[in-house]
Amino acid sequence: MICLELEQHLDSYLDREIAADSAAAIREHLRTCLSCRQRVADREAVGRLVRSMPYYEAPDRLHRHLSTRVRRTRVTRHLFAWAAAAVFVVAVGGVISLVRPSATGDDRTAGDVVDGHVRSLMAGHLFDVRSTDQHMVKPWFLGRLDFSPPVVDLASAGFPLVGGRLDYVSGRPVAALVYQRQQHTINVFIWPTLSDRQNIGAWTLRGFHVRHWVRDRMSHWAVSDLNETELSEFVAALRRM
Amino acid sequence: MPSRVFEETVLPHLNAAFNYARWLTRKDEDAEDVVQDACVRAMRFFSSLRDDDARSWLFAIVRNTWYSRVTRRGAINPLPLDMTDDPADSALNPEARLLQQHTVARVRDALEQLPVEFREVLVLREIEGMSYKEIAAVVQVPIGTVMSRLARARDRLSRVLKSSPAAMERAR
Repeated sequence: MICLELEQHLDSYLDREIAADSAAAIREHLRTCLSCRQRVADREAVGRLVRSMPYYEAPDRLHRHLSTRVRRTRVTRHLFAWAAAAVFVVAVGGVISLVRPSATGDDRTAGDVVDGHVRSLMAGHLFDVRSTDQHMVKPWFLGRLDFSPPVVDLASAGFPLVGGRLDYVSGRPVAALVYQRQQHTINVFIWPTLSDRQNIGAWTLRGFHVRHWVRDRMSHWAVSDLNETELSEFVAALRRM
Repeated sequence: MPSRVFEETVLPHLNAAFNYARWLTRKDEDAEDVVQDACVRAMRFFSSLRDDDARSWLFAIVRNTWYSRVTRRGAINPLPLDMTDDPADSALNPEARLLQQHTVARVRDALEQLPVEFREVLVLREIEGMSYKEIAAVVQVPIGTVMSRLARARDRLSRVLKSSPAAMERAR
């Protein structure tokens, strides 16, 4: 162990984020090296100074406000539960019939996702978060959408994930995941749905292919100028994950 | 009942969330606004809390809330990705002198002078005692980046603390 090595691992050593054998080697080195001991002591002092900072506590006003808000949500939920029960009773009585989303509704959405796809390429706004790491893309959506979209990388199937962004489709904020196949971009738009569609819908609009399916109550819409065979391959790979 | 679970798992971290937001924004009022918005969002997305680490989860929402506010206002200058490391300071003073010289106010000023990307990792590590993995989840960067930011943050902080008070005045 030389001093330069210690310098590289100084922080992870102090933060106990280093393997046990490396830590032992550092301790051994410190026994004999005064200047490194000094360096460690200095580093520890900086940490102590930061820890000596006063803790800013949330004002009572904020505590009160949020507690009230949580309780109010609870009361509202009770009301919703009663309202839902009432609707159910009426429905069983045969007065209300549920209207399933019509095919024309899906056709319109297919047009909207193609618009979204084209917009993302034309405006040069393909990414809000550019990363091939699904573990970075997924948390990025946290706090930006009221749902958590499934994010998987498909690099192993030849469709690497390259990023994500927020988009608007049919008047609602949705997650858009961006995948790449050579020069082709694939946008996958995702949002929650109540539909339990089993099959895959297919459209071709303005030279773009669209595939739509539902999984775990999430509506998925894949759009690309990629050829139909490869897009089907992509969809199959995504649905396998 | 989800709201009761929310009250029991998330609200206990309210003070910690506020402390983190306060170091991000450097202002009481801004921190209060950020935390309030973040908690309202957190309530809505509560079902997306998968594991039991409610603190990191809430902090990530606080950070996203803060970040979207400052970028909307155009008030942030994000850390350039190619920022080179500062030259190492070879002449370090003994710890005792450091401790004696610096009052709480001086350390706070020094921390507030640091770029926010450095300040936050120090706060999360030293004050919240988070692991590198937890910090990575909050800040949404790889663990290696957490490690290098912490090292550079400590380098900078010790350098600022050792510079003269006059220099600090000018730097402000």
